[in-house]
Amino acid sequence: MSGDVILDVRDIMVSFSARRAGRKYRVQAVDGASLSLAEGEVLGIVGESGCGKTTLGRTIVGLVRPDSGTIRFNGADMIGAGSSSLREMRLKVRMVFQDPNASLNPRRAIGDSVAEAGDISGFFKTRAERSAAIAATLTAVGLNPAFADRYPYELSGGQRQRVGIARAILPTPSIIIADEPVSALDVSVQAQVLNLMMDLRDQLRLSMLFISHDLGVIGQISSRVAVMYMGRIVEHARTRTVLDQPLHPYTRALVAAIPKPDPSKRILGAIEMGEPPSLFTRPRGCAYAPRCPLASDRCFVEVPNLRSAGTDGRTIACHNV
Amino acid sequence: MLSVRDLTVSVGPATAPVDIVAGVSFGLAKGEILGLVGESGCGKSMTSLAVMGLLPQPGPRVRVGEVLLEGCDVTQLQPWQRVEAGHGRMAMIFQEPMTSLNPVRRIGDQIAEAVRVHEGISGAAALSRACELLELVRMPDPRMQLSAYPHQLSGGQRQRVMIAIALACRPQVLVADEPTTALDVTIQVQILGLLRELCNRLDMAILFITHDMGVVAQLADRVAVMYAGRIVETAAVDELFGKPRHHYTRGLMDCMPSRNSGARRLPTISGQPPVPGTVAAGCVFALRCAAVRDVCRVATPPRMEVSRGHEVLCAFPLGGGELP
Repeated sequence: MSGDVILDVRDIMVSFSARRAGRKYRVQAVDGASLSLAEGEVLGIVGESGCGKTTLGRTIVGLVRPDSGTIRFNGADMIGAGSSSLREMRLKVRMVFQDPNASLNPRRAIGDSVAEAGDISGFFKTRAERSAAIAATLTAVGLNPAFADRYPYELSGGQRQRVGIARAILPTPSIIIADEPVSALDVSVQAQVLNLMMDLRDQLRLSMLFISHDLGVIGQISSRVAVMYMGRIVEHARTRTVLDQPLHPYTRALVAAIPKPDPSKRILGAIEMGEPPSLFTRPRGCAYAPRCPLASDRCFVEVPNLRSAGTDGRTIACHNV
Repeated sequence: MLSVRDLTVSVGPATAPVDIVAGVSFGLAKGEILGLVGESGCGKSMTSLAVMGLLPQPGPRVRVGEVLLEGCDVTQLQPWQRVEAGHGRMAMIFQEPMTSLNPVRRIGDQIAEAVRVHEGISGAAALSRACELLELVRMPDPRMQLSAYPHQLSGGQRQRVMIAIALACRPQVLVADEPTTALDVTIQVQILGLLRELCNRLDMAILFITHDMGVVAQLADRVAVMYAGRIVETAAVDELFGKPRHHYTRGLMDCMPSRNSGARRLPTISGQPPVPGTVAAGCVFALRCAAVRDVCRVATPPRMEVSRGHEVLCAFPLGGGELP
């Protein structure tokens, strides 16, 4: 199903400066992440809060400037691109945000929000063409075209997120970076929006980077998944492989901790897995070592690099498995 | 021990009240965890606040019904009367511990404050009780942490502090409103384990409010499913997950991604919950129900006991069981 590599991200480093207790710190939010995305493919990025998954997504759409690393879209460099080619590329690489309440302007009609990217790029030749495109896009995401004249407060949460998706697919994108697009929604609405995203993936042959903390949601929509922990990708494999046979100790903990909706499979009581270290006091070696049941001396001094493990392209960053 | 009967919480003018919680009844036994589950706006938080007597004033009010804690109706008491009369034996924890803690006070002092109010001891004695409470909630290095400020703790540790404060009054009932929703899954599993342990050790009952069917399955003994202000199904947890009888419960379970891994499309529940006050007659779920019949739109469904301890608010529950 997947074709050529459409997005190639190499060795991205992103850090922020922060001040705490009068001292200046550099917080390394993304620490050398690499991934690639094929045409029509959905890659999931999973991790807990603070692991850098959102920063990585924002870096790819150009909202955050990386310290180093390369991002290539269809072979063309995105970071060093001139403003006109960058503008063109940005129309192709679009983002869906987590909170549709915060990402929609409450004082703009839905139709204007949906058409914004097209307006800026001069995509629409006539007013009639613009209205037709808005109506078609709203229909594509399962909304009544009459919503174009309504305002965000008139819509439910699920409908607003459909608007968030509509504004990311007009005009014709190639890649959607979806940052926790269903996390703010109730489970019955979440299923509707996930179905919509799968339909769009198939109809428009969209590639997606689907960022989420929820492995259940990732398992539904993505064919491969990258697991992030404190800025680094620690395991990267096909989604089924990760869910059925997680290899990295962190991935194992993450899979084990999913509350399964089955009272006969209770996990409570047995699990004591500690807490992640503060981003200000990153351990010297493997960031997971302080919580890891398999940690050896080496783990506390040497950062493990991603290496290939087993068949079907699984990579893992761990000294001990 | 705790018995809620026909609880109805309303907003709006007394002449035209809109019921956001309508006729909710449940019981909670010693050492039992009841999971109250539902989607946003279903009235689960309002129910918990009404049980605690913490409804925001002015605003929603208990129009009908009673909340009996060991036979005493606490809805009739003012907050200070609850403490004085020894009826303050209920405590509550919330979703976001950071907004519940005072950011500029040491956590030891904040726990000791609750100890002072409820036990009448002060100074070093209160602080040493605070330390015991931190040990009870399995806070690593409790003596050191007494002098920490909330911002120095992680989200999971803050929630442990909130639980410690709640335990200061030696509650018989702990009301937990989405206490793990803001936490990462690897932390959530530890907090859920802690709540189960405390429930067993202290013989305390827990009313656990959540939107997450997975969390309910992991923690609860019994489950009440709420929809549009009503409890639509109550059963023991194994029974509910094994044999759901209400169409809404079934729909909620079906649309969870983790129950469908590999499926091409997720089953969904069409439409949205009704706006409170707009359903004049019939079943509140009729608009979204796949098995709706004409009678559902006009007649209020009966509350049926389909098997022992398993009640469902539906005229045509799944798996039969129509009225004889």
